[in-house]
Amino acid sequence: MATIEVNINLNRVEGDLEIALVLDDGVVTEARTVGTLYRGFEQIMMGRAPRDALVITPRVCGICGTAHLYSAVLALEHAWRTPVPPNATRIRNLCLIAEGIQNDLRQTFLFFAPDFCHRRYAQHNWFDDAVDALEPFRGSIYLETLAQTRKVVEIVAHFGGQWPHSSYMLPGGVTTPADLRRVLACRSVLDEIQRWYERRVIGASLDDWLALEDAERYFAWLDTPAHAGSALGLMSRAARSLGLHLCASGTPHMLSYGAWCNPDRWSSPHDARLLPGGFYDGGSGTVEPYDQQLINEHVRHSWFRPYDGGQHPWNGETVPDFQPNSDRYTWAKAPRYGDKAVQTGPLAELLIGGDALIASLHRAEGGSAWLRQFARVRRIAVELKQARLILDELTANLHEPHILNPAKTQETDGEGYGLIMAARGALGHWLKIKDGVFEKYQIITPTAWNASPRDSGGLPGHWEQSLVGLSVQVPDDPVEIGHVIRSHDPCLVCTVHVLNTGTRLRFGP
Amino acid sequence: MATLFWLQTGACGGDSLALLSAESPSLEQIFSAHGVELLWHPSLSGASMREHDALLERIVNGEQALDILCVEGSIVTAPRGTGLYDSYRGRARMDIARELAERAGTVVAMGTCAAYGGVHAAAPNPGDCIGLQYNRSAPGGLLPPEWRSRAGLPVVNVSGCPAHPHAMTQTLAWLAAGLPLPLDELNRPKAFFNTVVHQGCTRNEYHEYDIEENEPGGRACLFFNLGCQGPMTQAVCNSDLWNGTSSKTRAGVPCFGCTSPSFPRDADLFLTEKVGDIPLRLPLGVERPRYMAYKNLARAAAPERVKDKKMDV
Repeated sequence: MATIEVNINLNRVEGDLEIALVLDDGVVTEARTVGTLYRGFEQIMMGRAPRDALVITPRVCGICGTAHLYSAVLALEHAWRTPVPPNATRIRNLCLIAEGIQNDLRQTFLFFAPDFCHRRYAQHNWFDDAVDALEPFRGSIYLETLAQTRKVVEIVAHFGGQWPHSSYMLPGGVTTPADLRRVLACRSVLDEIQRWYERRVIGASLDDWLALEDAERYFAWLDTPAHAGSALGLMSRAARSLGLHLCASGTPHMLSYGAWCNPDRWSSPHDARLLPGGFYDGGSGTVEPYDQQLINEHVRHSWFRPYDGGQHPWNGETVPDFQPNSDRYTWAKAPRYGDKAVQTGPLAELLIGGDALIASLHRAEGGSAWLRQFARVRRIAVELKQARLILDELTANLHEPHILNPAKTQETDGEGYGLIMAARGALGHWLKIKDGVFEKYQIITPTAWNASPRDSGGLPGHWEQSLVGLSVQVPDDPVEIGHVIRSHDPCLVCTVHVLNTGTRLRFGP
Repeated sequence: MATLFWLQTGACGGDSLALLSAESPSLEQIFSAHGVELLWHPSLSGASMREHDALLERIVNGEQALDILCVEGSIVTAPRGTGLYDSYRGRARMDIARELAERAGTVVAMGTCAAYGGVHAAAPNPGDCIGLQYNRSAPGGLLPPEWRSRAGLPVVNVSGCPAHPHAMTQTLAWLAAGLPLPLDELNRPKAFFNTVVHQGCTRNEYHEYDIEENEPGGRACLFFNLGCQGPMTQAVCNSDLWNGTSSKTRAGVPCFGCTSPSFPRDADLFLTEKVGDIPLRLPLGVERPRYMAYKNLARAAAPERVKDKKMDV
């Protein structure tokens, strides 16, 4: 048996990604995901004024800064028990949706799907379609995605002034109210993107698409010219012909904090969600409410000052401890829900949130690289529908307040958390304020969950599990690994405290 | 054709995403109509990393000409000056940046991180981050102050967090055309840094009459109390609107001065430091006694509709 160890780097992801694989006769038997960048945001927050989190932490990530802003403001509001008027929550949700649509389209058609243009697939009957649609800077869908995503973030600019990187969510609300001009401008953006999504991405009306509720009916749809010829149809045909619907499920357990705070609930910690969250137990196949107290992070295989077992983020610490010549292999921490490695993202969000089609496909074929990607495109429809509803509600309540600033006396010391569903899944900020400044700040990003290293008990993270068993034809050009890893929508810049190393490389100053 | 290589160092990717928001010219137009040939962008290139490695090698040994090198992200030098907190295949990216810079016709720092160190260099600067040719506003970047690229330019600093989309694409279009690009004293292209954020802000009538907000969410000016750096910050945010739509100050978010080498400043970012009733930092070039006299007169002259904050922004 030929055993080889390879380190693979991947582009077309957000940030830097390195994966160390052990291949036995071309099949992955061990995988370790390795980040390659340490920036130390959590240390930068120490000693800073509470609202500074709203400027600093969105800059953790260029593609999901709105999500970080939302988490940070919820955490402050939790610490201060600040009520939030409904219009503020509506505007926050609308902006998060716009950023999410941007991400889901770019991830799908700029990062994931161009792999189907790989020369190796030239014999497939979908290959010419893939090149026509998806070739970088030439394909029709690729170019249309650039134009549409440029447009959709205008919604964020209407309320935040710019995308990316603004700070328009503040404790108690948002900085700008909805008015006639903004509501109509946003509606126009949504109308245009919905028309494009219906015509080019799914080949159907939004209502028909959302009414599709079971796997068999979807497979029948996939054979109709309207859907087969659409961008999602093309992606499904290509992915399924390569078997991506049968592999790379990773950990069966899933976590969603629930999408979009319920605007009618004014009071912190804003756990009431429009799309319910929960923990999906992959063993029993049941969803139960999640308990944030069960979240903990391990550093046994990470380059941090060691501690035993896992620590809840309120007790967590991030003290770099660079030990290259040991069995530690990454500076990403290992988050666990209880003792379970979980996955998070659109699949988790929709499965736990009760989307009938996703649940049916999951029952029929299990989690897979294809289903993760499919769920991402499906979610856009759910988001479009929700965004329209938000605009209707804003219109009906146009003169309600958009912010109720907390009194200075309410800005007390304390602890808080802010949990939301970012484009890539469950995002949490946990903070402690002492003497008016941050004493602790810990962030667990979606990619931290998905790209987690092994924990104290040696249990690999989700990506690491999802790669085992995969056949790699050409280790030098591992397009199979690309499909699987990109289907997770990796965002390594999001891994806040990852630091470079190769598992078996030796560095030394 | 001008060849372009985009290198990400200690970055969030925000400048690349802002780049995708540019409309005139757009990134697509840079490639189709402005003579730029994209050799590599980490988020956008279709080729594999194996091809990337071969490309890097050809650039470094001189087989592939490199006209424009864009760097996005702080230069991470930790631990202990090795740069290994940000590496590629075991090599410090800091060293890759230096090697490519030596080959490049022009080096462009895209964003405040690559220009001056940026948000990652905020205290306590856990990654020992610096900029390409600056450490904040001082020398001490990756390259010495006297360093010049093949075309004879220092590192061109298109600062901003993120850099303004058009500051990026228009700089690239100008460089690709081989036209002269005058720089200011911080090596920023003057074309995008010779106006202040305050100019064009829709809250200007409130500012003019000294009608100031005490808390976020209102219509009036954010300069006196809420930390707005607009009158001191050089950038086109209010003369070339973001996403073709708005700006932070128009949306009620104070300008944080993100194009400045000192961003983010080491203070409460939503609070204006004052001497008496007047901000410690005054609009660019203004003298304190005259400013105080002007503000007293201005408030007395304010019409009721402005005093009562009745006017939309």
